[in-house]
Amino acid sequence: MTTLTPQQAEREARQALAANQFETAEALARALLAGGRGPLQIWALLATALRRQGRIEETRTIQQMLVDAAPQNVELRFDLAETLLLQGEFDRGWREYRFRYSLPHTTRLERHVQTPRWEGEPLPGKTLLIHDEQGYGDTFQFLRMVPWAKKKSGARVVLQISRELYPFARRMKGIDALVVRGEVPPPFDTHCEMMSLPMAMGLKMTDLPGRIPYLSLDQARVRHWRKRLADLPGPRVALVWAGRPNHFNDANRSVRLPDLAGLGMPDVTFLAVQQGPKAVEAASPPAGMRLVDLSGEIRDFDDTAAILSVIDLLISVDSSPVHLAGALGRPAWVMLPFIPDWRWLMKRADTPWYPSLRLFRQPAWGDWPAVVQAMAEELAQLRQASALS
Amino acid sequence: MPRKAKAPAAPETPAAAVSQPQVMSIEQAIALAYQHWNAGQTAQAEQLCQQVLHVWPEHGDALHLLGLLAHTQGNLSLAIDYVQRACAAPSAPALFYSNLTEMLRGSGRLAEAEKAGRRAVALDSQLITGWSNLGIVLQEAGKLDESLVCLRRVIERVPDSPENHNNLGNTLARLGRLQEARREYKAAIGLKPSYSVAHSNLAKLLNDLGETGPAMAEARQAIEIEPRNLDAYINIAAICLARSDPDEALRWLDNLASVAPNHPGGLVSRARILKDGDRPGEALEAARQAVAVAPQSGEAHEMLAQCLARHDQSEEALASYDRAIALPSPRPEDKLVGKGSLLVELGHTEQARALFDQALKINPGTAGAWFNRSELERFDAAEIARMEGLLAATEIHDDRIMLEFALAKGWRDVGDDERGFAHLAEGNRLKRASFEYDAAATDHWISSIIETFTEAMRDRFAGLGDPSPVPVFIIGMPRSGTTLVEQILSSHPLVHGAGELKTLQGMVDHISGPDMRPIGYPKLLDSLLDTDLPRLGRYYVGHVASLGPASARIIDKMPANFLYAGLINLLLPNARIIHCRRDPVDTCFSCYTKLFQGEQRFAYDLAELGRFHCGHDRLMAHWRTLLPADRLTDVAYEDVVNDLDGEARRLVAFLGLEWNDACLEFWKNRRPVHTASVNQVRQPIYRSSVGRWKALAGHLQPLLDSLAGEVKK
Repeated sequence: MTTLTPQQAEREARQALAANQFETAEALARALLAGGRGPLQIWALLATALRRQGRIEETRTIQQMLVDAAPQNVELRFDLAETLLLQGEFDRGWREYRFRYSLPHTTRLERHVQTPRWEGEPLPGKTLLIHDEQGYGDTFQFLRMVPWAKKKSGARVVLQISRELYPFARRMKGIDALVVRGEVPPPFDTHCEMMSLPMAMGLKMTDLPGRIPYLSLDQARVRHWRKRLADLPGPRVALVWAGRPNHFNDANRSVRLPDLAGLGMPDVTFLAVQQGPKAVEAASPPAGMRLVDLSGEIRDFDDTAAILSVIDLLISVDSSPVHLAGALGRPAWVMLPFIPDWRWLMKRADTPWYPSLRLFRQPAWGDWPAVVQAMAEELAQLRQASALS
Repeated sequence: MPRKAKAPAAPETPAAAVSQPQVMSIEQAIALAYQHWNAGQTAQAEQLCQQVLHVWPEHGDALHLLGLLAHTQGNLSLAIDYVQRACAAPSAPALFYSNLTEMLRGSGRLAEAEKAGRRAVALDSQLITGWSNLGIVLQEAGKLDESLVCLRRVIERVPDSPENHNNLGNTLARLGRLQEARREYKAAIGLKPSYSVAHSNLAKLLNDLGETGPAMAEARQAIEIEPRNLDAYINIAAICLARSDPDEALRWLDNLASVAPNHPGGLVSRARILKDGDRPGEALEAARQAVAVAPQSGEAHEMLAQCLARHDQSEEALASYDRAIALPSPRPEDKLVGKGSLLVELGHTEQARALFDQALKINPGTAGAWFNRSELERFDAAEIARMEGLLAATEIHDDRIMLEFALAKGWRDVGDDERGFAHLAEGNRLKRASFEYDAAATDHWISSIIETFTEAMRDRFAGLGDPSPVPVFIIGMPRSGTTLVEQILSSHPLVHGAGELKTLQGMVDHISGPDMRPIGYPKLLDSLLDTDLPRLGRYYVGHVASLGPASARIIDKMPANFLYAGLINLLLPNARIIHCRRDPVDTCFSCYTKLFQGEQRFAYDLAELGRFHCGHDRLMAHWRTLLPADRLTDVAYEDVVNDLDGEARRLVAFLGLEWNDACLEFWKNRRPVHTASVNQVRQPIYRSSVGRWKALAGHLQPLLDSLAGEVKK
């Protein structure tokens, strides 16, 4: 073997990482760090290679060391936040998570509200503006905390929320005023991003899940969908196979509909509730899968929620309908990549956030077939149970 | 470095209806735009402003808000442009001027900022942010008393704002009222524990008080809260320096530079550390960059002046000091003292004295001016009284040390040796308390050097080093006459005196093992390869040649190189080494009376001084057995004083040079002198220094005892 220059070795390590050859990337990085010293970016590379192998504790040790040595590097701090939260270490994790708008690609997304940020202190007689952030799933997940924030602060709470989720917030208790994103909120004294609430309130694992369901349905929609789906036979299983395509991790979390062919079985009716550009895949379902395409009939999340309330199960990749099901207390099976988003933690088949959810994890990087097979076995039992009842 | 905490403020506006009306009046549109801005909805705010400007060009409120938006987005020059346009209308309200004040200050335009600030409070004396922003500008412009009036007025009106307490703390700190400032910072933190800026400012203050431990904790806390609090990194670097850890200081500045490579304060700090760490080239580069990015900063020009002076570019240095003095800055007196010190080095003591007086006129508490004057002149009773008063009032650790040393000199000037010694002892005690030193470890280290350098080792490496005859080393204890000997020899036209270089020490400190960690001296001798010797020798020769004019001999008069004499002889077998010696009690007491600029950790405690001197004697005795007499010679200070002509001729011959009469008139040499002996070498040989300690013999027992400890062995 010829000797590589450090630059060549670093390049090869990055290529190995990009090609999902994590052990190779690790070995190259470790060679560059012989003697326990080396440039920061090689340590960060090693941390990534370890994390993708699922060696989370080792990853955390390195990331912690990097943050101690270079506290100004907010990218490293955000990496550490995601690792801590993935390990369920909420306290430090939520604090480091505050750097999510300090990253090179996120700074322009930061909202510069001209009042102080709430830090969990009592706010009697004051008004607190809580505003939602990026993904719908995030908002569904953290909406449960808005009434908690009101209770803790004693403030009048104004919630500013995206137009799409506005109806759910309107049906919630514990919100004093509601305004759609982009419109002017009533006067307020202090503010908090919805996903800064955990840091402000010191959210603990034992606080979860809170009262379930915490979202409620539009009953007119429920009546509509009950009628619409009444004639469909067998267990009715809604399917979502792709998340928002511009999500940074979409390649790892989304699949194609044909990948789910193994779920197809007699007497089960699948309902395509997929939204967005991948919805068209429903037009050509895999052989052996009875699929009713509802995508075009779904106008908004109230429709999705109503569907989830009348059918038997949602099977979905890590996307917003999962959170909607969880918040409504409806059953859903979540397909997760080997290293999932931090909120699903590691190794467990359940989630403290939503008691009605079951998690199906890849046993190895990229191994969706194993996930589909495991779900198919469970689904067969469900089908049997349904046939018996 | 203190930091301000006032962002531009928006006017109070009534809430608009939640839904946006189709048709709005200008007033409604403006009100709505401000509410969008307040809620962080900048796109909507900007769009409304542009719509207003479309129907009403140069509408003040719209321009003002566009300025605030640009400020939020970090575009300071655009922000100033908008707000200046908004202020063009005769009816422009005080708030516009107040926000303009803060923006101009943020871009370093202090004179304009002050003008805008005064206009704001003249238009509306009830506008609190106007007083606050004016107070901050006055603080940066060094008008501290007036700043205090403004900021006190602000606190009276709004006592529960952490920012207001922080700002007031900054002005008090700059006035030297450190305990009051500490209370204000604590109040700010009490009101808002997550207030990073206040933690950082408190860190700076604690460091000034000499409490480096708590200072470090506060600075780390500031960074933990807000990793982009850049001033906190500068403060940490200063704390590391106070703990005599320049490498760690540079590491923190590297962290700062990785996110803000052009931060003026970071560049100035870096230049200071590099300059003091004998990396003058890099220091000059950093200082030039600081001036390039912040041409309005007096501190940047001051640092450039110091770096230029270090390069003996005295004219340029004086010009830079003049620029620094002309610019508004929080401590103009420091620039005057800096220029004065340079003039002392250049021999212009009268001009220097005038500058020290000027500094004291601006701020009678300028400890540096008193300290410099103490080296130049004899104090009278009135001056001593003023210094005593100052000492009683000041809390700044470094200022106290300088005043103690200046008073020690002052009381001796008026014949009160007892009081003089009391101040001297206290000054040394304060200095000694600011760092760690282990005298036993030093003894042990010197023994290990002696054990490492054996005849066998010398013979194994013989003849391998670089053969250049150019390098000359003058070594010895500090205050043993090294500056005098260098001045005599560098008056020779073929000799260049390069001053006290840390080059050799730096090379030794950076020799690393396979694990990339520095090995340390003398252990590194074990792993030295034959090929390392000529390479290291050549590196040294190349480096010192780059520092000055081409010369037949270049003198490095770092006294501490006595630790490396054996190594020097291996790396540079033809280099001459002159060891200066002087009566041990004279030497040590002279060290004790000096406040060194560099690191002399053994020199602030009489017993430790004596012990170090013994170690020095032990090591030199060893070197004499190892090194040939044509490469290492001793010269006694007392002999030079008694027989200048004879000793000078002997040393010139030792260097292998022809005699030159210029060496006898060394005090005419105008070369700048950077060491603690600067004022002695400007005079013909004086004998008063010999044996001057005898009057104080009673106080010197710890020194005599520790020196005797070696004699008994």
